[in-house]
Amino acid sequence: MEELIRITDLNKIYDSGAVQVHALKNINLTIERGEFVAIMGHSGSGKSTLMNILGCLDRPSSGTYLLDGIDISQQSNDALSDVRNQKIGFVFQAFNLIPRTSTLKNVELPMIYGRVPGKARVERAKMLLEKVGLGQRLEHMPNELSGGQKQRVAIARALANEPPILLADEPTGNLDSTSTIEIMELFTQLNREGVTVIIVTHEDDVAAFTDRVLWFEDGQLVDDRKVEK
Amino acid sequence: MMLFLENIKLALSAIRSNKMRSILTMLGIIIGIGSVIAIVSIGDTMRSVIAKEYENVGINRVIFYTMAADGVYTNEDMFTQDDVDQVKDAFGDRVPYIDTYCQDRKTLSNGKRQQEQVYVYAVDAGYDQVQPMELLYGRMIDQGDVEAKRHSLVIEKKIAENYFGTVNALGRTMEIIDNDGREEFTVVGVYKEADSVLTAMSGGGMPTVYVPNSVYFTPDSYGWELNCYVDETADINLLRTQMTNYVARMTNRTTDEVICVTAREEMSSIDSVMGILSGAVGAIAAISLLVGGIGIMNIMLVSVTERTREIGIRKALGARTNHILTQFLIESAIISAVGGLIGTLLGIGIVALGGLLIGVAVVVNPMIIVIAVGFSAMVGIFFGIYPARKAAAADPIEALRYE
Repeated sequence: MEELIRITDLNKIYDSGAVQVHALKNINLTIERGEFVAIMGHSGSGKSTLMNILGCLDRPSSGTYLLDGIDISQQSNDALSDVRNQKIGFVFQAFNLIPRTSTLKNVELPMIYGRVPGKARVERAKMLLEKVGLGQRLEHMPNELSGGQKQRVAIARALANEPPILLADEPTGNLDSTSTIEIMELFTQLNREGVTVIIVTHEDDVAAFTDRVLWFEDGQLVDDRKVEK
Repeated sequence: MMLFLENIKLALSAIRSNKMRSILTMLGIIIGIGSVIAIVSIGDTMRSVIAKEYENVGINRVIFYTMAADGVYTNEDMFTQDDVDQVKDAFGDRVPYIDTYCQDRKTLSNGKRQQEQVYVYAVDAGYDQVQPMELLYGRMIDQGDVEAKRHSLVIEKKIAENYFGTVNALGRTMEIIDNDGREEFTVVGVYKEADSVLTAMSGGGMPTVYVPNSVYFTPDSYGWELNCYVDETADINLLRTQMTNYVARMTNRTTDEVICVTAREEMSSIDSVMGILSGAVGAIAAISLLVGGIGIMNIMLVSVTERTREIGIRKALGARTNHILTQFLIESAIISAVGGLIGTLLGIGIVALGGLLIGVAVVVNPMIIVIAVGFSAMVGIFFGIYPARKAAAADPIEALRYE
């Protein structure tokens, strides 16, 4: 299998003057294309920090992070924006749809920044919303949708520029159990279609959908094992 | 470019979703631009009104009078018919018409009880050649009247209507009464006074009637000034110098004591006064634009803070620093430009309404609309820079966590 993410000797230290917080310690990690991975750990274990670095929202303090061959620690802010736009699809716990903006427009947004021409953009956004089962909700505003529907819109939006990676941060944290199962089934389906899915979660039920679990404690990767099915 | 259009749509929807706030934000700009437009349009309108007034008065008019150094007029300062004739002989080729602008208030009567105060203007023949007049019936005072000292009279339309119940009053007899007694005149012409805003605003002036100067202006009577109409093709500066010298010699005075006033000069000096006035009021309006701009900056800062999370989402989805910057810049530019547009319409509306009330055709320069909207957009961009930079500089992780 082809290597998509390679993290070598990665450290993240938050330095707020008086206090130094060593959030990630000497992480070495490889994720291949097409994997379905859960990142788990208690709060304060460093999983959110790793998530931010994986998502190119933050840079490592030391060590290297290669994403699809790109050395993330060496990129400018605008270059990181482009990497996020093209390589990563974000799904958040709080959905993070743009308020007062239709579902269609929300899904179009990454393609606007990716300079996809108007017509192709609208068509792809419609196709993606149909794919997540919201083909009838194109002009709805986010506040008119249920939690599960919002998360589907967010997933459609994450897929807009056909990124190789879906990065989901507690995607079911705000959902009831029925919606949780639906969303996780959607992720499973997308993974089977070839998308690499990385989910940060503290729920075993959610992790059970994935193929591989990375367990973090105190800023260190302490366990990396396959999920028994 | 694509992003630019998206940003405009985005800005418009942001403005729509916060209507009340947007309008309050725009208010400063609306008032600022509105007053600028109103002032400039009032200035332009006044200028065109004055230009029209001068067309009525005669743009080719040049007036000479003499004044002693102490500024006191005496009979020595007056001109006689002999003076007029001398000047006419010397400059007749370039000055087709000269009189002493002898206008006296007198009483006009139809010989019965009806009477009113009028200006009696003693003109030379050919007055209607240099001063456009709208004659409804008959003719203006002519050479025959002047030479034969006929008691001919040209009256205004309203007088004819008032006294004779008809505009065509030719051949009727009227009396002009003064301290010396009363004299009978025969109406030979009826004219219509040009619409004048100034007289309209001052509640309508006293009408003027015309008589031959030979009747009212005998060789031993006087007039205060030499009222000349010069040929349009003449070199006015040269003529002015020559005539000033001539009048000085004729009246035994120095050239400094001969005052020359041209309509053109008066008009340009009024123009420059209007310019200064517009400039001063414009400066005050600029202050209100400044205040409006600060209002926009304030509300944009609030908006940026409120939308911190949105900024975080956009950045996570791949918005570059510049994308966020332009988004907020365009938003403040549009708020300001829309304010400018509303202000423009308001300003024009007020001026047009005012014009309607006093019966003046309002002049609105279309360029001023373009300039006003453009300028207010610039105000928006200028005062939007700081909030937009603040938005663009937001750290995506922090912004995403913002509640």
